Amino acid sequence: MAYLDLARVSKTFLSEGRAVEAVTPVTLGIEAGQIVTFVGPSGCGKTTLMRMVGGLETPSGGEIRLAGDLLGGPDRRRGMVFQSYAAFPWKTVAGNIAMGFRYRRDLGGAEKAEGARRLIDLVGLRGFEDSYTNRISGGMRQRVAIARTLAANPDVLLMDEPFGALDALTREHLQSQLLRINRTEEKTTIFVTHDVEEAILVAHRLVVFSARPARVLDDIDVAAILPVADRDQSIRDAPDFLALRRQVQAVLRAEQRRAERQEGDNAA
Amino acid sequence: MWVFRKPIPRQTEILLGLAGLLTFLGAWQLVAVSGWVRPQFLPTPAAVVEAFGRLFTEQDFAIDIGISVGRVWFAFLLSVLVAVPLGLAMACFRAVGAFLEPFVDFVRYLPVPALVPLLIIWFGVGEASKIAVLVMGTFFQLLLLIVDDTKRVPAEYVESGFTLGASKWQIIRDIIFPAALPSMVNNLRITLGWCWTYLIIAEIVAASSGIGHVIWSLRRFVKTPEVMAGIVAIGIIGLLTDQAFRLLHRRAFRYLER
Repeated sequence: MAYLDLARVSKTFLSEGRAVEAVTPVTLGIEAGQIVTFVGPSGCGKTTLMRMVGGLETPSGGEIRLAGDLLGGPDRRRGMVFQSYAAFPWKTVAGNIAMGFRYRRDLGGAEKAEGARRLIDLVGLRGFEDSYTNRISGGMRQRVAIARTLAANPDVLLMDEPFGALDALTREHLQSQLLRINRTEEKTTIFVTHDVEEAILVAHRLVVFSARPARVLDDIDVAAILPVADRDQSIRDAPDFLALRRQVQAVLRAEQRRAERQEGDNAA
Repeated sequence: MWVFRKPIPRQTEILLGLAGLLTFLGAWQLVAVSGWVRPQFLPTPAAVVEAFGRLFTEQDFAIDIGISVGRVWFAFLLSVLVAVPLGLAMACFRAVGAFLEPFVDFVRYLPVPALVPLLIIWFGVGEASKIAVLVMGTFFQLLLLIVDDTKRVPAEYVESGFTLGASKWQIIRDIIFPAALPSMVNNLRITLGWCWTYLIIAEIVAASSGIGHVIWSLRRFVKTPEVMAGIVAIGIIGLLTDQAFRLLHRRAFRYLER
């Protein structure tokens, strides 16, 4: 069994009295320390699947296991970074990161303080410790959220389009930082995005989902094609990267056409 | 000066505010001295100012103000102490909300003056019935405002808290309460204003002290300047309290400034 194991996980919502299938049974095994990116058409259910891993949604069927343990509601083992800035505005940068340590009983006060210093350096926020979060940029706020999540030392890091609201340059900067952080922290990560380039750039492994209800269309071992060790922004120009991007985009376009046809059939 | 939906210089703003007040006072003075209205109905602004002084020197008005302020704050704090924890519970636990909301919504629509006779039957004409009128007027309104403030806390904050390992109780204490606090304080400010409205009703109906009682008893002697001075006193107290709350809000929630 894989470290993070999803066995026939499905989700059906009740919407206006009708059952709407968001995730069709998905089976997926994720190895420890890997960054797995989820791409797919918007609204396809990939975020719902990730939220089920986080315990923020209850699966309608199937089970999710982490290191063999059956998972239930949310806890410290699965940390979440949201698309919108979930940094607490009433706390400073340091105060937000301290919130990540606050509920840990495995560390003493001195260790927490030392850990906070290390994280502030890791995400490059030294000098901004005492700033409130609505006085720093969106990119910095998202780094605060990442540091706070890492402070809780989760086994799995869940990122829901974390860089979606940022400008292109900041986005690239944070993508590089994420790769660097993963090298030092080796956190098992699920990263949801609709940006194909981003999905390839940060991935060890890339999973392409269908339009709603989410179903796995393609599962690519990106690390085998583009070694993670020498991954940086310049890889966007590498022939292998471009070939991979074309491959994923072709799958997504075909899926888009299929979904539109089906919608047309349903309407008729 | 006619810039559209844009700020104007601070100085201009202050001058315009003063000009507005002076225009009002001027118009009042003009009507009062013109002889169109009898002075028993409309005394001049100066007469009201004089009456204001007389209230303090001849009527021990300061004591009445103290009594009224005491009543308002006692009832207000009592309402706050119950409404804040109860509102948090109603918003966080749907079962508590579902249990109380229909009842609270019903009571909220009862006009407080209509309850005064009942409250006097229950609590007599002493302090208890006045406090009861104020609490009836503010508690249920405040409770629903607190529920709304709590519900508006973004889901991401709460979900972040759970994934950081916080318990439900810790999330309420460490995340929901501080997140909702700025809008709660703002709603406290508004509710305190309503509390004053009900105070005057309570003091007019059955009281032997307080600002409302003073105004009501002077009315019997058609001491219009004094009656108007009493009303102005309430306005001044309201204005000062409001400004104090705003200052507290700015000081306590500096992080809201950009």
